[in-house]
Amino acid sequence: MHDSTLVFAALILPALGAAAVPLLRRARGVLAVTCLVTLVDVLLAAVVSVSVLRKGPVAAAAGWLRVDALSATHLLLLSLVGGLSSLFAFVYFDDELQQGRLTLRQSRLFGSLWCGAFFAITLLLASNNLGVMWVGMEATTLFTAFLISVHISRESLEAMWKYVLICSVAIAFAFMGTLITAAAAPRTGAPSALFWTSLLADAARLDPRLMRAAFVFLLVGYGTKAGLAPMHNWLPDAHSQAPAPVSALFSGFMLNSALYCILRYLPVVESATGGEGGERGLLLALGLVSLLIGAGFILFQHDAKRLLAYCSVEHIGLICVGVGLGGAGTVAALVHALNHSLAKSLAFFSAGRLGQAFGGHDIARMSGAFRASHAWGAGLLFSLIALSGAAPFAAFLSELMILKAAFDARRGVLFATLLFGLGLAFLGLLRHAIRIAWARSDATPRRLPDRAIERLIVGATLCLLLVLGLGWPENLARAAVSAARIIDGGSAAALAGILP
Amino acid sequence: MMDGVVDRLMVLLILSDVALLGMSRLGAVIGLAALQGALLGGLALSASGETSRAVLLAAVGLSVRGLLFPWLLRRTARRAGVQRDLEPFVGYALSLLIGIVMLGASMALGARLPLGRAGVSNLVVPAALFTMFTGVFLIVARRKALTQCVGYLVLENGIYGFGAASVGEIPLLVELGALLDLFVAVLVMGVAVYRITAEFDHMDTQRLDALRG
Repeated sequence: MHDSTLVFAALILPALGAAAVPLLRRARGVLAVTCLVTLVDVLLAAVVSVSVLRKGPVAAAAGWLRVDALSATHLLLLSLVGGLSSLFAFVYFDDELQQGRLTLRQSRLFGSLWCGAFFAITLLLASNNLGVMWVGMEATTLFTAFLISVHISRESLEAMWKYVLICSVAIAFAFMGTLITAAAAPRTGAPSALFWTSLLADAARLDPRLMRAAFVFLLVGYGTKAGLAPMHNWLPDAHSQAPAPVSALFSGFMLNSALYCILRYLPVVESATGGEGGERGLLLALGLVSLLIGAGFILFQHDAKRLLAYCSVEHIGLICVGVGLGGAGTVAALVHALNHSLAKSLAFFSAGRLGQAFGGHDIARMSGAFRASHAWGAGLLFSLIALSGAAPFAAFLSELMILKAAFDARRGVLFATLLFGLGLAFLGLLRHAIRIAWARSDATPRRLPDRAIERLIVGATLCLLLVLGLGWPENLARAAVSAARIIDGGSAAALAGILP
Repeated sequence: MMDGVVDRLMVLLILSDVALLGMSRLGAVIGLAALQGALLGGLALSASGETSRAVLLAAVGLSVRGLLFPWLLRRTARRAGVQRDLEPFVGYALSLLIGIVMLGASMALGARLPLGRAGVSNLVVPAALFTMFTGVFLIVARRKALTQCVGYLVLENGIYGFGAASVGEIPLLVELGALLDLFVAVLVMGVAVYRITAEFDHMDTQRLDALRG
């Protein structure tokens, strides 16, 4: 099939799914169809992105849709994390069905919104127009809001309200930034004036003052949605209250998609201001603050899912620092995004499943996790170790490369602060991991059934994390470098010397 | 000639912001936000010339902002049984004083940024900025979830006015998409407020404090 047709199909399929799922009559059928639709969708997205990475950008719909290396790498990430999350969602909610905790109405709500979220994310990644990208981002917020409170409780409603209000206001700021960019663009009257491709070609002629103002609005707006401190307040609440598959999608992909929007603007703003606007400096500062705040809060958490949420703040901060450094740092940041998303979604899966067994996500209660399930106990233990940046796992390598980029750039203070923050997070996560695995609580968990699909999810993800920890495969590095070229504009680093 | 009309619209917009800062009755606050929607519809119409596309967009915007939203919010207020936002975080007199400071700031900011389009009154950008500030202030300083929701609407009104003044032709698809998103956002917030009231018997956001640390 033609690639542009595939882009269309990847957009339309989840939209159809969202509309069709509420018509089904059995809760289990709803879950199965939702899982199937999203799996086929991520497969389409993966095919498109692999072809883009091999043969170059694909455009569709008279240029309104366009997938280049940057969107392709993010689509691939969506395929991995989204596919795993959809599979896990079936396992997770199927268990709730059997326990009588999920009604038909709730499963329809979940299925429809889950498909809707996939539609919105695909739209924002595949759009070539900055307005359409904004529409996609706002739509993800709205689709996911009620996913947080699939199970209505006081806590989940509180988290949902904070999420909707804070993120809507933030996205309104991002819209302001979009409008200022549009005001700075040349007034041709043609719809293509707001296309990335034409903005990037004309970037040097955009008004630098306006673009600088626009970038501040965009950074605050999309940065809030990405969970950058100090705008991260909604994140721990939403991530801890949402059902585990939703938390996994939030941490594993939604944060990255918001960051993607900022990365899209970065080359445009930089060539308008001639690189003198201090955009990278802003990214570095926000990233460093997020890293430190996330690492600090990790130490004092009592709830496993809140712990993982603060860990996301830390890692998103690190990714921002990498991009702020540029060159080899950008490449490492993109690979780190993959490593983090994989480990984080596995961690949320495990915490969610164990939470079902123990009846809560309190770390003290969950201690001795292996009593409930060997697979998920191992999943949580090893994913926490992977997230801490310990050696044989993937995050170690990408964190090392970001540190190396800071060292090579002769940023001594930055290097030391990074080392301190990462060390803090390492200690905190390891302490919690050991407690969860080997301490014992009084709670007697329900023994979870030992199903092949669950072992497959844990095993496959852990294997991937291990393989990526041994070295970056040539294809992956090549993809990251071509995406980094788009972010960094002319100043991109060459492939040689970046590979660990 | 046209400028006179736009100037008057913008003065009305600024006055409505000031009134929003000093009001406690929810019905009046919702009505003012709707009035702003109508004023901005007029602005959009006069700013982009009377092409059929502009008339269509202004009509859609006006009916959504001026009629649909207030209806939705009033319905939520009735179902939740609230009439006033008593004891806000920032008192009404102080709110008005802060409002004056915000107005001064938006005038100064509007004069400095090279944003106004040629041929559009230079009162538009400051008025739009002031409306945005007012919206954010309402979200931060008011206690009831529904008033915060109106604050969000006022913020969006300001951004809409800003767009009409400084951008001009936004592709139809984008504009309709943005409007649809806004509509769903208000809908989602309305349902959220309703659920919160049903679960907690109040919609006081200060008492939504179970999640910390």
